[in-house]
Amino acid sequence: MPKKLILISDRAEDLTFGQSVAEEVGVALEQKASIPDAITAIQGTEEPIIFIDVEENSTFKQFEDAIGQTFGIYSEKINPNAIHVISNQELPQAKEVLLSPVFGSFISRKYQDPSIAGKRYGMLVKSSTQERAFGTERFFSSSANVQTVNFQSTAQKQNGVEAVKNFLIQAQFKTRMATVIANAVDELIMNAMFDAPVDELGKQIYQSTPRNKVFELKDKSQVEMKVAYDSQYVGITAIDHWGSLDKERLLKHISKRYQDEEYQVKTTSAGAGIGLATIFRSGGSFFFVSDKGARTEVTTFFKKTNNFREFKDQFRFISTQFYF
Amino acid sequence: MVDVVKEQNGDHLTVRINGSIEESVDFEKLIGEPPKKLTINTKGVSRINSVGVKAWIKYFQNAASKGTELTFVECSTAIVEQINLISNFTCGGRVESIFVPFTSEDDNSELVGLFKVDDLIKMNFEIPPLKNPKTGGKAVFDDIPEEYFGFLMKDS
Repeated sequence: MPKKLILISDRAEDLTFGQSVAEEVGVALEQKASIPDAITAIQGTEEPIIFIDVEENSTFKQFEDAIGQTFGIYSEKINPNAIHVISNQELPQAKEVLLSPVFGSFISRKYQDPSIAGKRYGMLVKSSTQERAFGTERFFSSSANVQTVNFQSTAQKQNGVEAVKNFLIQAQFKTRMATVIANAVDELIMNAMFDAPVDELGKQIYQSTPRNKVFELKDKSQVEMKVAYDSQYVGITAIDHWGSLDKERLLKHISKRYQDEEYQVKTTSAGAGIGLATIFRSGGSFFFVSDKGARTEVTTFFKKTNNFREFKDQFRFISTQFYF
Repeated sequence: MVDVVKEQNGDHLTVRINGSIEESVDFEKLIGEPPKKLTINTKGVSRINSVGVKAWIKYFQNAASKGTELTFVECSTAIVEQINLISNFTCGGRVESIFVPFTSEDDNSELVGLFKVDDLIKMNFEIPPLKNPKTGGKAVFDDIPEEYFGFLMKDS
């Protein structure tokens, strides 16, 4: 029962994408047109990596039900970290899917080039087949430039953000792209500094602390940032040592859309709760890796493009790897 | 960091906001008690983070609830993005003019052009190219029309 990538889709572009992912990971691909056929294939595969075309949320519900009936939702056979949804839907439309207990990753089908997108995404999948998927370097070629910044105080955040922006402008990203990415860095670092620290009961220590409060970041509260660039993609990782990321809360936040409903200012929390959703809508992809109680790494990726239109419309995904 | 330049004319206050709007911003301190008429010029706003958005909505929503007439002029691209992302970002105020992003076809440089929203609607959001003043070449609109002008298309 070898490791295998099982693709539940009959679309040609998904096959090209899946083949590219499988090649990068070093596993065989098996394409299935129906959920029952896929379930049979999953039964015969050790540690299956599953990619499923979800055009309507009901498709994923059928898949979830079939998994439940055959293996049990929380069976060891089924690892949500290895389940990848491919969809044309916008994130808010797919909210039901995101909140399923078997959901792991969401891939927007705007591949541009499915083969190139698959190769890049394959690096993440390959990383997720390891014991822990930590490490920004794994998503870039060995020639990529990787820099590490350690924050000693919350007061250093803005300097870090500006430094990344200046680096990107030097790397010939357009100013508007560099500004979007700088904003993403701002949100990730702010989350690592203020949202990650929790007490013994898991309650956020700084939930109501103003985000301009200056305090030292030492021991468990240390925050690290890695910036990797390989001339095609830039990836920025914020690292904390709390491992407190709540998957359901995260996915609810990220799929929130304030274009149709009003944003309500909550006074109970000093954070705004809109940062991650904004990053995704602006073109950013995410890779969340969290080892409960130990460490969280959140990486955002952006492709360098010739113009802003392509930048905003680039291939994007949200991938989660949670370890309990 | 943000700085605000104020210009009072009777009961009409115009504020020019410059810089990055983030967690350190205190609009109560920078602008003060909202006047009867408030015009907000954001030409100089380069960036706004999520906590800045929260502070913005809190201040301008409060101003609107007290009867302040809000007008947003020369909205930078960073502000237009937020107007499109958050339905109540303008807190019931009127957007008079926005900067529109362009990319020059010959040297790939970034330019912006100022447009009145009424004119954009009249043009049906078909944006004519600009002339790059440095090269004389053509600069074309560089964003997704349905997204950049989304807030206007929804209303028009």
